[in-house]
Amino acid sequence: MIVTPKIFARLAAIGLLAVLLQICFFSRVTVFDVSPDGLPALVVVFGLLGGAMTGAVAGFAVGLLLDGSLVESLGGSSLVLIGIGYLAGTLRERLTLRGPLVAALLCMGLTVAAELGFALVQLTLGVDAPVSLLLVRDVVLKGIFAFFLGWPIYVVLCRLLRPALVEEPRLTRRRQPTVLGT
Amino acid sequence: MYRKQVRRRRAVLTLLIVGSFLLLTLTYGQAPSGVQQGMGAAFAPLADVADRALKPARDLVGWFDETFEARGENSRLREELAAARKQAVAGQAALNENAQLRKLVELDRSPVLAYSTFEPLTARVITRSPNVWHSAITVDVGRDDGVRVDDPVVSGDGLVGRVASVQGGSAQVTLLTDHTSGVTAQVLPGGAEGVVRPDVGDPEDLVLDFIKSARNIGAGQAVVTSGWRASEVSSLYPAHLPIGEVTEAPIVDQEASQQVHLRPYADLANLDLVQILTGGAR
Repeated sequence: MIVTPKIFARLAAIGLLAVLLQICFFSRVTVFDVSPDGLPALVVVFGLLGGAMTGAVAGFAVGLLLDGSLVESLGGSSLVLIGIGYLAGTLRERLTLRGPLVAALLCMGLTVAAELGFALVQLTLGVDAPVSLLLVRDVVLKGIFAFFLGWPIYVVLCRLLRPALVEEPRLTRRRQPTVLGT
Repeated sequence: MYRKQVRRRRAVLTLLIVGSFLLLTLTYGQAPSGVQQGMGAAFAPLADVADRALKPARDLVGWFDETFEARGENSRLREELAAARKQAVAGQAALNENAQLRKLVELDRSPVLAYSTFEPLTARVITRSPNVWHSAITVDVGRDDGVRVDDPVVSGDGLVGRVASVQGGSAQVTLLTDHTSGVTAQVLPGGAEGVVRPDVGDPEDLVLDFIKSARNIGAGQAVVTSGWRASEVSSLYPAHLPIGEVTEAPIVDQEASQQVHLRPYADLANLDLVQILTGGAR
């Protein structure tokens, strides 16, 4: 990804809007008693489109914005999302992954990893309260929701960041037949 | 050239990770710093606008979710559901809001608050934390409206949590289901006392830990705040605020203390309007 000042502004606006959408919409609706978490999916798509560094920096920024907006301890979300973004970018660079379905599947897998990461960070910091087994349901359902969110996020970001994408997949055009004698 | 690029990537990644650890070390378990308060205050107006703009969409998703849940219930609920389907989504949202406000007014008039020093202040929920570890919401009233840290927060159904931090025009509320939450409570009738703690991952279950009592506790009994006072210190919550209903009370003879499970009265997953009890004695 070629990050010009204009593209940087777009990335920042996308991050800000995504955090607002998460805390004002996704976190406040429940489907099967679980709220979808779209931010890991967003960071995964950033990693897929821009590579490991873009994914890691986006993860740090989105995590910081999230924690800051909720006046929570800073750094916890960033730590997890850096890993997710970097991993997504590295997978894209090494395996040449491309396409909305791949993005959706990666969003699902890495969102599950992110939710486990959030749990690990909290358990490491010390949780006084008992932990319910329903946490597993929460993690699995968030992964499934991320699959359905990953595809539209990928398509929209491809469109919004098109000028910056180095490996933009192009439509193959059929070659016009050569007409002789004209 | 390639090696230089790899080195630069590693340096940036290390910097980000070290930065995250540093931020976590400086801010975890501490009162919100000026930077955090500033970020919260800057986000609050944006979140307020986004909250209002996204309310119809939330109500729509909520309507679908409730429809799915109702499918598994008995025929009586199916009939109610069929009637509810006829209502327009916008009309449904207005009715829900009206019902919540009515409950809040009823709670104001109840003896629990009518004779206390608390002044109820109605607030709209504007954001919610996305993961189950931090069960917190942001409301659209703050220091300028008289809200202070540790003020109790209730909905029309019962206790919701307490104010964790406050800015000029917004405040963060830690819900009963946050892992840092703990409320002294008693079971009625009987009066066995203990501390209500969450069961992380299960928003519909709270655990009441208490010293073993000779009194029998059974499903269906109400759990309310105990509102204790000892010399110069007192509970943050007024006495007899409803918290939840006992769902399970296992009897374990060997244990020195007993655990009772309860379901909170307040629907903590779907809060739109709450009341902050301001002006209480500290």
